[in-house]
Amino acid sequence: MKPPAIIVCLKIIPDPSGPASAFQVDSELKKVVPSGIPPVINPYDENALEAALRLKTQWGGRVVAVNLSEKSMVTILRKALTVGADDLIVVEDPDFQDLTSQSIAGALCAAVMKIGSYDLILTGRQAADWESGQVGLLMADMLGIPAINLAQAISIENGKVVVEKLKRRGHELVRAPLPALVTVSNEAGELRTPSIRAIHESRKKPVTVWKANDIGIDPQVLKKRKLRELSRPPARASSCCMVEGESAQEKGRALALKLREEGII
Amino acid sequence: MNPHGPVLVLVETEEGRCAPITFELLKAGSEIAQEAEDALCAFVVGHDVSGPAEEAAGYVSRVYVADDRSLSPFQPDLYAQVVHDFCLSLKPLSLIMGQTYENLEMAPKIARRLGTDLITDCIRAERDSASGHLLCAKPVYGGNARAVFELDASPQMALIRPKAYEPTIEGRSKGEIIPVDCRVDPSLALTESLDVVSGEIVNLDQAEVIVSAGRGVRNIEGIEKLKTLIVALRKRFDRIELGASRPMVDAGLIPRSRQIGQTGERVAPRLYIAVGISGSIQHLSGITGSEKIVAVNKDAEAPIFGAADYGVVGPFEEVLPALIEQLEELP
Repeated sequence: MKPPAIIVCLKIIPDPSGPASAFQVDSELKKVVPSGIPPVINPYDENALEAALRLKTQWGGRVVAVNLSEKSMVTILRKALTVGADDLIVVEDPDFQDLTSQSIAGALCAAVMKIGSYDLILTGRQAADWESGQVGLLMADMLGIPAINLAQAISIENGKVVVEKLKRRGHELVRAPLPALVTVSNEAGELRTPSIRAIHESRKKPVTVWKANDIGIDPQVLKKRKLRELSRPPARASSCCMVEGESAQEKGRALALKLREEGII
Repeated sequence: MNPHGPVLVLVETEEGRCAPITFELLKAGSEIAQEAEDALCAFVVGHDVSGPAEEAAGYVSRVYVADDRSLSPFQPDLYAQVVHDFCLSLKPLSLIMGQTYENLEMAPKIARRLGTDLITDCIRAERDSASGHLLCAKPVYGGNARAVFELDASPQMALIRPKAYEPTIEGRSKGEIIPVDCRVDPSLALTESLDVVSGEIVNLDQAEVIVSAGRGVRNIEGIEKLKTLIVALRKRFDRIELGASRPMVDAGLIPRSRQIGQTGERVAPRLYIAVGISGSIQHLSGITGSEKIVAVNKDAEAPIFGAADYGVVGPFEEVLPALIEQLEELP
């Protein structure tokens, strides 16, 4: 097997582990306005990057990180270079805003075509902002290559990709010829932490910036998603009854009595 | 858009029957169809599926059946081809599917090839009477916001989240069962299945009570304390399961089949007991269907208390044994 060329697609989103108060909903503009939380690489995309780096450790080759956005955040994306990606390509254009999954996939495919040859494309299973889970699968369909969804482990055997694909119960072992696209779930493992030295050395790695016309995309043909409404989710109409007591043991006993009193137990 | 097309529900099957989610999809489909007085139809895909087809016929005017040996087990490329071809001939106005692992894999392909759009993980889908468009509501940003998307091109494709709809109960139709001539070309399969490793069978979605462990439970010893509570509750309930939030699964302490939340199971028990679970919005989105939620957490500021009906602030290692002791004393 020649060393594989792996492309990993990365999206930047507001840190999804932030508290509910950090996600302000502007219903007029139909936007979520993050407050007090940093932009991060979508955690599922980090899982995909980790999977790519493990394959690189075993087989050599190159890992190319690609990001598509209305305005790129190179400082955040550089993390990919610090952990071991060889190249970072950012494709930015103001018109890449509020696109449908199909338009995003189309633009990413155009970037992939410009990169040229590849063996494997990895994406996260979904982005933790709009939670659509379609872009990777659509890319594979557009490129006419096999797609395997929801990987918890990926290996290359005899020039083919072998994936442990999540099922609701257990998993399925699935094989596909290369080139192929695999979407990666969190079970595949967290992204490694870079060493101080690697962070330092990565500063020398170049970042390539492309515009829509560099990848042959006419922004006018991109479709915007039809968002009718964006609102705060309705709050759960319950107020918590706190069970009190002098000690933890007393509270535990009081809880049993309370649940009995309310007819729950 | 084909304004006169039917609303088509893709039936989910398991062990020769309709899977429980099918009745939720039929409920969603019937509500959408009623608004515009469209026909409600069902589509069954697989091999040896006469059982689920007959069952579904009780709820719809027509059941279409694509039965072929190569359609079992599920292969996404072949299923996508069959659903795509059938939609080209039936021209449904809306196509309602369940948010399952399998549909997530094939639905984007179907949508693209039909030149239409798809909204995944919907909790509500309604017909806009003025335009005939389908309005699909779904939680976004981990559940911190709720979006309503508008689908115009037909078929309007929506994947409906499990437990978002109550199952339909009336099955009084005598729908016609219509076999569909599906020529499945096995060479269209781009992936091959080598093996299926079945996980533990856990019926979280049918449980009356779920005792669930979060990061605060920390280790095997902690989990044992929850299991002791489960044993004590067995005297009062038949269906009790151990659940978990994602950190416990990521740490390898509890199998993934017991994970509850956005990327795990959605549950609706009578009683959900959250132990050491801080209550991330991703976890809460999986438990909102619960009738009553009890939270035990030593951090009084934990967001779980915002979702709970009853809260105890304290170390679970001390709270649970006392709870069990008192339960044993109660008649």
